[in-house]
Amino acid sequence: MTPVMVVFGLLGVVVILTALGMLLSRNAIYSALFLVLNFATVAVLYIILGAPFISLVQITVYAGSIMVMFLFVIMLLGAERLPGSDRLRRQRWIAAILGLVFVAQVILFIFFRGQLTAPVGTPPATLGSPQAVGTTLFTTYALPFEVTGAILVVATVGAILLTRGAALPYSPIRKEEK
Amino acid sequence: MTADFATMLSAVFPEIGLVVLMVVVLGLDLLWRDERVRRLGWITAAGCLFLVVLSLVFALPPAEPLLIWGGMLRLDAAGFVFRIVFLLGAALTALFSLGQDDLQKHGEYYGLMLVSTLGMSLMASAADLIMLYLAIELTSIPLYVLAGFRFRDDKSVEAGIKYLLFGAMTSAVMLYGLSLLYGFSGTTQIAELAEQIDRHSVPVSLLVISLVLVLVGFGFKVSAVPFHFWAPDVYEGAPTPVAGYLSTASKAAGFAVLMRVILTGFWAVTPIWMDLIAGLAIVSMTVGNLLALTQTNIKRLLAYSSIAQAGYILVGVAAGTSFGMSGAVYYLMAYLLTNLVAFGVVSVVGQRVGSDDLSAYAGLSRRAPAVALILLISMLSLGGIPPFAGFVGKVLVFAAAVEAGRWWLALIGVINSIVALYYYLIVLKSAYLLRSEDEQKPLQLMAGWRVALLVCVTGVLVLGVVIAPWFEWAGKAGWALSIY
Amino acid sequence: MMMPLAYYVGLSAIMFVLGIIGVLVRRNALVVFMSLELMFNAANLLFVAFSAYFQLLTGQIFVFFVMTVAAAEVAVGLALMVEIFRTKHSIDLDQMSEMKG
Repeated sequence: MTPVMVVFGLLGVVVILTALGMLLSRNAIYSALFLVLNFATVAVLYIILGAPFISLVQITVYAGSIMVMFLFVIMLLGAERLPGSDRLRRQRWIAAILGLVFVAQVILFIFFRGQLTAPVGTPPATLGSPQAVGTTLFTTYALPFEVTGAILVVATVGAILLTRGAALPYSPIRKEEK
Repeated sequence: MTADFATMLSAVFPEIGLVVLMVVVLGLDLLWRDERVRRLGWITAAGCLFLVVLSLVFALPPAEPLLIWGGMLRLDAAGFVFRIVFLLGAALTALFSLGQDDLQKHGEYYGLMLVSTLGMSLMASAADLIMLYLAIELTSIPLYVLAGFRFRDDKSVEAGIKYLLFGAMTSAVMLYGLSLLYGFSGTTQIAELAEQIDRHSVPVSLLVISLVLVLVGFGFKVSAVPFHFWAPDVYEGAPTPVAGYLSTASKAAGFAVLMRVILTGFWAVTPIWMDLIAGLAIVSMTVGNLLALTQTNIKRLLAYSSIAQAGYILVGVAAGTSFGMSGAVYYLMAYLLTNLVAFGVVSVVGQRVGSDDLSAYAGLSRRAPAVALILLISMLSLGGIPPFAGFVGKVLVFAAAVEAGRWWLALIGVINSIVALYYYLIVLKSAYLLRSEDEQKPLQLMAGWRVALLVCVTGVLVLGVVIAPWFEWAGKAGWALSIY
Repeated sequence: MMMPLAYYVGLSAIMFVLGIIGVLVRRNALVVFMSLELMFNAANLLFVAFSAYFQLLTGQIFVFFVMTVAAAEVAVGLALMVEIFRTKHSIDLDQMSEMKG
């Protein structure tokens, strides 16, 4: 038992427990808060894995903005007290996939235990540093980076349209028609 | 295999054009506060056609596939052919959307459609898993909004939510598959996957797991059974032109990535994926056709029909040969035009009669003989009757299956085509034999609809009669997909 | 600082399966959406673990892009949910029975 293993064990337990907590909470706000904790813990794992930049992005984007958005909507809608998991939804087909994936995971885990016992060392600090990530993003991955710009624009336009669309029925021509 | 900056820029020239077109449409939407907004559909369609011409002139693919933008895109015939297919699809959809006030009065409607087209175009030429994933999402996110675009119609918004939840779910599963694939190979370059997997001597069982996970994502995009559950609900709830776009261009994009990734990336497990795809093809054809038999809403009927059509195309993919891929590409071109015209007629009738029920088609042949004739052509083409485009597509994919020694797959396909004829003929029976009270009232067609219907029908006939030039392109695309 | 790769794979597998179960059993559309985020995170963890294993940056870059996409998807998804809540006063997936699957 190396110290890293102890830390990993603790973090792993927290990750699983918070995921379960999100799953089982009857109150959607608790679910969201459990998920925030889950994401934060995963961020610590990222640091152990030598990815400080990704870890910080995880905290700010995921645990920060995305989950705040969730909480905001839950409170806006007053939807925190909603039916829990008292019965299964009818989408049984997902159950089929679930079974498949679950079996697959078990096989996977066994194989990896047997075959890839190779340890994950901590990579040199320069690998995941913000500078290295930034350089790669703007050289090799310049085109995907531009594409994310388009994705964000389209999401903004879509979200504004969807939430404003109903409030102000038709945009321009409305006036004349009245 | 590096390209200079000018080559790289001219290669994504049509994509840049799409972005510019989107900005123009959104800008004009902002400036035009009156009736002129109705012109945006024409502008979008004209812009897309202009980009088709431009890419035919300036962005012709090189003889040898070329990796550009740091290996993110692969410049080849497949990407080129699919891009033209998507642009045509977007142009025709824009024309069919004319006259629908809740759609055409929002410039964002066309803007979102153009961004989605941009995503599809990138999907078809992505050569890197990162680019592939981003392109898929760039296609999907605008489509989620478009499916829910009738804000005040519960059905439409529900269609949006369902599409989004299914889409996000399958994309998460696919992403997990991609992460495993990355774990096995240590690369995100699709062309290097096979070699690296070979080098790391990854066990077949592990590779199959990631194959299945990735197939979930692609199966959703092409709406193959068992990932089809969203299709009938979403097609029914979404605005009709959007449903047409989803069932044609979006499906074609799904097939483009399916063929590219599976042929190259999963080279090591080729026999297994062939069997898996063959299985998907069989269930998609059978389930799609059987469920279509009982439908009374034409949009649901076309949804199940499009699931079955995905099955026929998968027959071509399951052959695993260059010829099979060419057949699938030809089928996709034929299917795009045929199904767009079918949804176009549904859109026209839905606008003028106000219902998507089969009963709304009673007496159509007397109210609008031309529209009924177009419906006849599209249904016969979907059913695979010569001399229409669908026939050629079916012959090609089934021939590819026979050539690859899977004659049973072709046989099941032929049996299914015969079953499918039954429900296509039911639609025609409504239109031609049933009488209705208002058959004296002629249907008024808008100019845009006429143009779009005419273009589609001409295309269906041309693809069905003059085969050689189009097959040459499909052949080039199929060849480009099967080498790396 | 050595950890066998298998443990990371196992942990991410558990997260992924829990996410799928959440999507399957919960009826509150918001919680279903959160479960989807858990699935994305499982994939992300795997990417970063493999990135460290291969000493390659590509995995981390992939995660960066996945996060961007997730943010966009959440924005659109929540907008759709607000929209449906306006008319139905519910985001219970079982009550979306306007259409039959």
